[in-house]
Amino acid sequence: MSFDERTVVGQVQRVSLKELRIWVREGWVRPAQSDRGPIFDEVDIARVRLLCDLKKDMSLPKDALPVVLTLLDHLHQTRRELRALTAALDTQPEDVRRTVVTKFHDIHSGVNEPDGEG
Amino acid sequence: MTDDPYKVLGVNKTASQDEIKKAYRKLAKKLHPDLHPGDAGKQAEFQAVTAANDLVGDPEKRRRFDAGEIDASGQERQERQYYHQYADQGAGRRYDPGSDGGNFDDASDLFSELFGRRQGGGAGHHQEFHARGQDIRYHIDVDFLDAARGSKRSVTMPDGKGIEITIPRGVKDGQSLRLRGKGGAGYGKGPAGDALVTVSVRAHPVFVRDGNDIEVELPITFDEAVLGAKIEVPTIEGAVAMTIPKGVSSGHRMRLKGKGIAGGDQFVRLRIVLPEKIDKQMEELAAGWREHASFDPRTELRRNT
Repeated sequence: MSFDERTVVGQVQRVSLKELRIWVREGWVRPAQSDRGPIFDEVDIARVRLLCDLKKDMSLPKDALPVVLTLLDHLHQTRRELRALTAALDTQPEDVRRTVVTKFHDIHSGVNEPDGEG
Repeated sequence: MTDDPYKVLGVNKTASQDEIKKAYRKLAKKLHPDLHPGDAGKQAEFQAVTAANDLVGDPEKRRRFDAGEIDASGQERQERQYYHQYADQGAGRRYDPGSDGGNFDDASDLFSELFGRRQGGGAGHHQEFHARGQDIRYHIDVDFLDAARGSKRSVTMPDGKGIEITIPRGVKDGQSLRLRGKGGAGYGKGPAGDALVTVSVRAHPVFVRDGNDIEVELPITFDEAVLGAKIEVPTIEGAVAMTIPKGVSSGHRMRLKGKGIAGGDQFVRLRIVLPEKIDKQMEELAAGWREHASFDPRTELRRNT
């Protein structure tokens, strides 16, 4: 689905057109471009709602918004990478998977440091 | 009044369908409005009991209620789609902080190989920075026929660069095209990003698409329906002649093989249309026909009702 600016403002009542444009200019929301202006999809709309929550419900100061967003984006990127890694591991034979899982728990709980000193 | 249909019926969440049925019957007998005329309280209670039974007395609805898909009034639960639900999927990639992100000094080569945040060789080359350029997202609106037949389109990307987009034949509404290397320039020796172009297909006043098939409604006159005719029918590749057999009715569907999108078919649904003003001649014709005809198109209808 694709929505133009006005549809987004209609769907997410808490955001104004002016605010939406600022968020796009700041790069906090990244719609696709088209010859009839920016076009948003479901992901962008969910993000606009998130921004409303952060700014309005949680009264986050304006300067803190980009900081929080960057942290959130890092978190999501890392989660996706972890999931991809898990999926890749899932294609491996049972014994490989088992070895990796055991090793992971060892390293993660600090039983056996990766550098294996001593 | 409680929202929990199990409580309304006075049964356990784990009750069998039979137990629910029994509980409902017992309450219905006790509360039925006709047994308590004028007792508004009992009537409201009875309605609540009936609604509860409609919900959990039906195994499928009960399953959906238990799973939280519908609420106590049987309405679809409109759940807000939270950002993280998208961000966890591929679509969230557009908001990734980019390749200047993680700086894991203690990370192994395998780590950089996997996550590519420190491209440009192994340890010791930290200062040299190469990364793939950004993907650019673009949206185009395409006419129905351009999408059906395929076409070319020149657009100016946000960075001012003009590119030509080849719209493949049969592209679907909402489909995404990836143009490799047409995105933002790479950093250092990194390759350029891609242009991701989503396509919206505009509706057509005549042609309706169903997969690769095309549906068209074709108005015909009553004499064409009675006598048969050879009629020109529009298709996405231009008009073709089609023979309408004698004695067809409205709703009759005919197939033009291979006249759809990329080998699909076109289906033509006939609709008999009378002129806005019925003239004397037509009236006489109908009156004359009625006198001797014994045709009744509604026998089936009566038999089945």
